[in-house]
Amino acid sequence: MPDRIDVLDSMPVSPWARPVRWALRLFAVAILGFLYLPIVFLVLFSFEADRTVGFPFSGPSLRWYATALDNDPLLDAVRNSVVVAIAVAIVATVVGTMAAFPLVRARLRYPNAIRILVTLPIMLPGILLGVALVTFLAGLLHLRLSLLTVVAGHLVFTMPFVILIVAARLQGFDQALEWAAADLGASPARTLRHVVLPLIAPAILAGALISVTLSIDEFIVTFFTIGPQLTLPLYIYTQIKFGVTPEVNAVATLILVITGALFVLGAVVIPRTWRGVRAVRLRRAARRAEAA
Amino acid sequence: MTRGYRRRDFLKLSAATGAGALVAACSSNTPAASPGGGASPSAPAASMSAGASPSSAVAAGPLNFLTWSDHWNKDALTQVKDMDGIVVNVSELSDNADGFAKVKQVGGQIDMVSGDALWVPEYHKNALTDAFDLNSLQVSQQLYPIARSFEFFTASEGYLAYPWGWSPIQLVYNPANVSPAPDSWQALVDPKYKSRIVMENQPVDIMLLVAKAIGAKDGYNMTDDELAQAKSFLEKMKPNILKLVAQNTETISALADGSAWIATQNLGAPDRVKDAGGPPVDAVVPKEGTTGFIDGEMRVTGAENADRISPYLERAAQAEWAAQNFIDNGRPLFNEAAYKLLVDGGNKERADRYLYNTPEVALQMTLKGPGGRVQEYIDTFNSVFGA
Amino acid sequence: MTAIRAGEAVVSPAVRPARAPWLRLWPFVPAALVLVGLFLLPLAIMVVYSFWATRDLNVVAEWTLANYVRFFSNDTYVRTFAKTIGMAVLVTATAIAIALPFAYFLVRYVSRRWQRIVLLAVIVPFWTSYLLRVYAWQAILGERGAINQLLMSLGLIHEPSRLFVYNNVAVFIVLVYVYFPFAALAIYASLEKFDFNLFRAAQDLGARPDQAIRHVMIPAIRPGLVTAAIFVFVPILGEYLTPALVGGTEGVLISNLIINFFRGVQYPAGSAIAFIIAAFVVLLLVVFRRYLRVEDVVTRA
Repeated sequence: MPDRIDVLDSMPVSPWARPVRWALRLFAVAILGFLYLPIVFLVLFSFEADRTVGFPFSGPSLRWYATALDNDPLLDAVRNSVVVAIAVAIVATVVGTMAAFPLVRARLRYPNAIRILVTLPIMLPGILLGVALVTFLAGLLHLRLSLLTVVAGHLVFTMPFVILIVAARLQGFDQALEWAAADLGASPARTLRHVVLPLIAPAILAGALISVTLSIDEFIVTFFTIGPQLTLPLYIYTQIKFGVTPEVNAVATLILVITGALFVLGAVVIPRTWRGVRAVRLRRAARRAEAA
Repeated sequence: MTRGYRRRDFLKLSAATGAGALVAACSSNTPAASPGGGASPSAPAASMSAGASPSSAVAAGPLNFLTWSDHWNKDALTQVKDMDGIVVNVSELSDNADGFAKVKQVGGQIDMVSGDALWVPEYHKNALTDAFDLNSLQVSQQLYPIARSFEFFTASEGYLAYPWGWSPIQLVYNPANVSPAPDSWQALVDPKYKSRIVMENQPVDIMLLVAKAIGAKDGYNMTDDELAQAKSFLEKMKPNILKLVAQNTETISALADGSAWIATQNLGAPDRVKDAGGPPVDAVVPKEGTTGFIDGEMRVTGAENADRISPYLERAAQAEWAAQNFIDNGRPLFNEAAYKLLVDGGNKERADRYLYNTPEVALQMTLKGPGGRVQEYIDTFNSVFGA
Repeated sequence: MTAIRAGEAVVSPAVRPARAPWLRLWPFVPAALVLVGLFLLPLAIMVVYSFWATRDLNVVAEWTLANYVRFFSNDTYVRTFAKTIGMAVLVTATAIAIALPFAYFLVRYVSRRWQRIVLLAVIVPFWTSYLLRVYAWQAILGERGAINQLLMSLGLIHEPSRLFVYNNVAVFIVLVYVYFPFAALAIYASLEKFDFNLFRAAQDLGARPDQAIRHVMIPAIRPGLVTAAIFVFVPILGEYLTPALVGGTEGVLISNLIINFFRGVQYPAGSAIAFIIAAFVVLLLVVFRRYLRVEDVVTRA
C-alpha cells in the first residue's frame, strides 16, 4: 500500500502548521519515551548482582540470566503464557469481530441492552470472575482445569474489548462501498473479504493487541482457572512471602528481546522479501501477457 | 452458489486449530515418566540412594502440587523425576484463601496443597484433605519431635499435614532512626514514625496483631468493645503507615532505601536488608507476643495421584533439601537433621539467628488462620483504611 | 450482510426480501455462547451468593440482605466509591487528552506501515509483567530513585521528595500510564478512517483549523472517543492492583475493599459490593445511552 498522500499539502498552509507538526512529533516521542522509561530500568535490574530488585544497584552480573535459563518450570510457565495469549487473541478477535456486525447492522430491538451486557464483564473485579468461573466450571460442571479453561476465562474479559472497538469502527461505515462492489458483481463473501475487512482491519488489529495485552499479564483469573501448571504472571505474583528476584527481570528482558526480534522480522524482513517475490511474479505475469 | 464466507471460515479454522493445539498441549502436560538418564543433581542426591524406597513400587506419573514458591526446589523436582519417575506439576498460590477456594471446587484434580497453621484443620473440617499416619513416612523421623505432635495438626484419624516451615512476625526497625528500641506493638502508633511503617496487606493478620497490642483475650474473636478499641488503634496507626505491601520485596526495598524505619516481617529481614545494600536493622518480637505461620503439606481428598505423595515427600523433604531450602529462603524449617547439616556446612550462626533450633518458639505465636469474626474484622479494617 | 447478491436488480436494503430476523444474528452466536456460558451462568451463582451468608468460610443458603445493606450503612464504602468515580473520570479525561494528539499524529503524519510499527512499539512494554514495571517506576520516583538522586545532585532539593510515592497522585499517574494504550488504540481505530478531505472542505467554507477539528473531526470520531472512554473508565472501577502497589494508605479504591472480603473467603460480602458498583455503571451507561449509540442509522436509497 502506498504511503499516505497528504491531501492537505495542497491547501494554503497556516503559519502554525509547521510548529504544530513539530510539537506533535515531540509529543509522540515524549510519550514513547515515557512508556519505555520503566522498561529501561527493568532491563537494568536484570543485571543486578544481589537478590533484591531496585536501587542501590549492585553488579552488573549475568547470574540471573543463567538461573532463569536453567529454570525449567519457569520456562514452561513462559511458554504457557504465550500459548494462552495467542489462543485468546485469535479466538477473541474472531468471535468479537463476528459479533460486532449484527450489533451495528442488524437493527436489534434493544441494542443498548446488548451493548451493556457485552460491557458487563469488564465492570467486575477479576477476582469475582475467577471465583465465579472456578465455582461454575470445576465445582458445578466438574470440568478438568487446564490451559483450555484459562483461555476460556480470559476470553470473557477480552472479547468485550474486541466487540466494542470493531463496532465503533463499523458504525458509520459507508455501505455504498459494499453496494458498489455488489454492482460490480461481487458476492457477499468477496465483498466481505476485499472491501469490508480490509477497511476495518485497524480495529481488528487493535482488538487483537488489546487481547494479547490483557491476557499475557493476567494473574487472578488465571489462578482460579488453571490446572496443574504455571504461567509467568502466576510465577511472579506468587513469590509473595520471599519476594521477587531479578530472575524474573531476566526473563522479561529475554521476552522483550525475542518479541522485538520477531517484529523486526515480521515488519521489515518479511515484507521486503515478500515485495521481492511479488515483483518477480509481476514481471513474469507481464512477460506472459506480452507473449500472449 | 455461495462460496461461503471464506475469510471468516479461514479465521474460524485457525481458531479451531489454535484450540486444538492447546488441547494437545494440555494433554501432553501430563507426561509419562521420562527416566532422564544421568541427570546430575546437586550434592544432596548422593546420600539419598540408600534409603529404603517403597516408591519403586509406585507407577511413574504426575503429581499435582499447589503450593508456595518457597516449598519447592527445581533440582529436587528433577531428582524426584529421575529416581522415582514422578513428574511434579507445580502450580502456585499466593494466599491461603485462594487456595482453599480452589481446592474446594476442583477437589482431586490437585493432589497436594500447602497451607498455613490453622487453615490445615479448616481444610480437614471441610472434608477437603485426608489425615495420614505421619510415622509411615520414614523422613518424618528427621523432624523435631515437637513438630510431630502439633495439636492443631492432630485429628483422630491421624496427622493432617506434613510440617514444613515456620516464622513469627517480628517488628523490624532501623536503630539509627528508631530509638529507644521498641519492645511493644505500641510503637506502631507512635506519632514520631509518621509514614515510616510498612506492613503486609493482610487485613485479618493485621487485626490479629492489633488484638495483641490492645491485649484482647481471644485474638480471633474480639468482643465488640475490643473491636472498637482495635478500630481506634488502627485509626492512630493509619497515618504512620507508608504502605501496605503485597510482596516481601517491597518491604525490603523500603527498609533498604530508608523510606521506612519500621516494618513487620518474617524472620530474616536484617539479612535481606543487608543483602539489598541497606542499613543494619534489628528485629524483635514485642513483649505482647506475635502472630506467625507454621505451614505444611496436605493430602487432598480424592487425589488422583495420592499414592505418589509419600514417595515425593520421602525424597523432597530430606534433610539435604531442607538445608538447601533454608539457605535459599532464609526461614526455619522443622527438619532437625537439616540443622546438623547446616552446622556442619558452616551455617550455624545464621541458623541460630533464625531460631532454627528452637522450634518451640513457634508455639508461642498466635497462629495464622481463618475463622473467628472475619467479616467484622474486615469491615472494621475497611472502615479505617477506606478512602 | 445487507450487501446485495450479484445479478439481482439494484434495490435498497429496505426493499429487499427480508430474511428471518434471527437468522441475521447468527454471527453473534459464538459471542453469545461465551457470554452466557462463561459469564452469565457463573455470575448467576455469585449473585445468589451475594444474598446468602457465610458461616465458617462456607456459603450457606440463608437469605439475607445484610451484604447489600453494609454498603450503605458503613459510610466508608460510599466514600471510597465516590472517590473511585472521581479518580476514574480524571484518569479517563487525561488518558484521552493524551491519546488523541498521539493518535492524530500517527494517522496524519506517519506512513501506514510505520503506524503499525509504532502501535506495536506502544503496546509491547505492556507485555512485560506489570509488577516489574511498577517496581521500575518506584526505582524512578522513589525516595532513593533516579529522579530524587538527580534533583539532589543538581542541588535543587536537599531531602528526597516524597511527592510521588504512595498517594493519590501516584495512583493517578500510574493509572494514566496503564490505560493510555487502550485509549490510544481505540481512538486510532476510529481516527484512521477519518477522511481528511473534510478539513479542506471546512477550510473552503472559512473555518479555522481549530474549528475544523472541533466541529468536523471530533464528531466524526465520536464512536472512537466513546469507546476509549469506556475502555478506561469501566475497568478502573475494578482496579485494585495499582492502588495496592503505589497508593499507600491514601490511594485506596473501592475494589481494594472488595478484595479484602474475598481474601477472607467472605464471598457474599465481597460480591454484593461488586454488584452494587456494576449496577451503578449500568445505570450510567443507560443514562448516557444517546451518546453511546453504535447502531447505524439506516439510509433509505
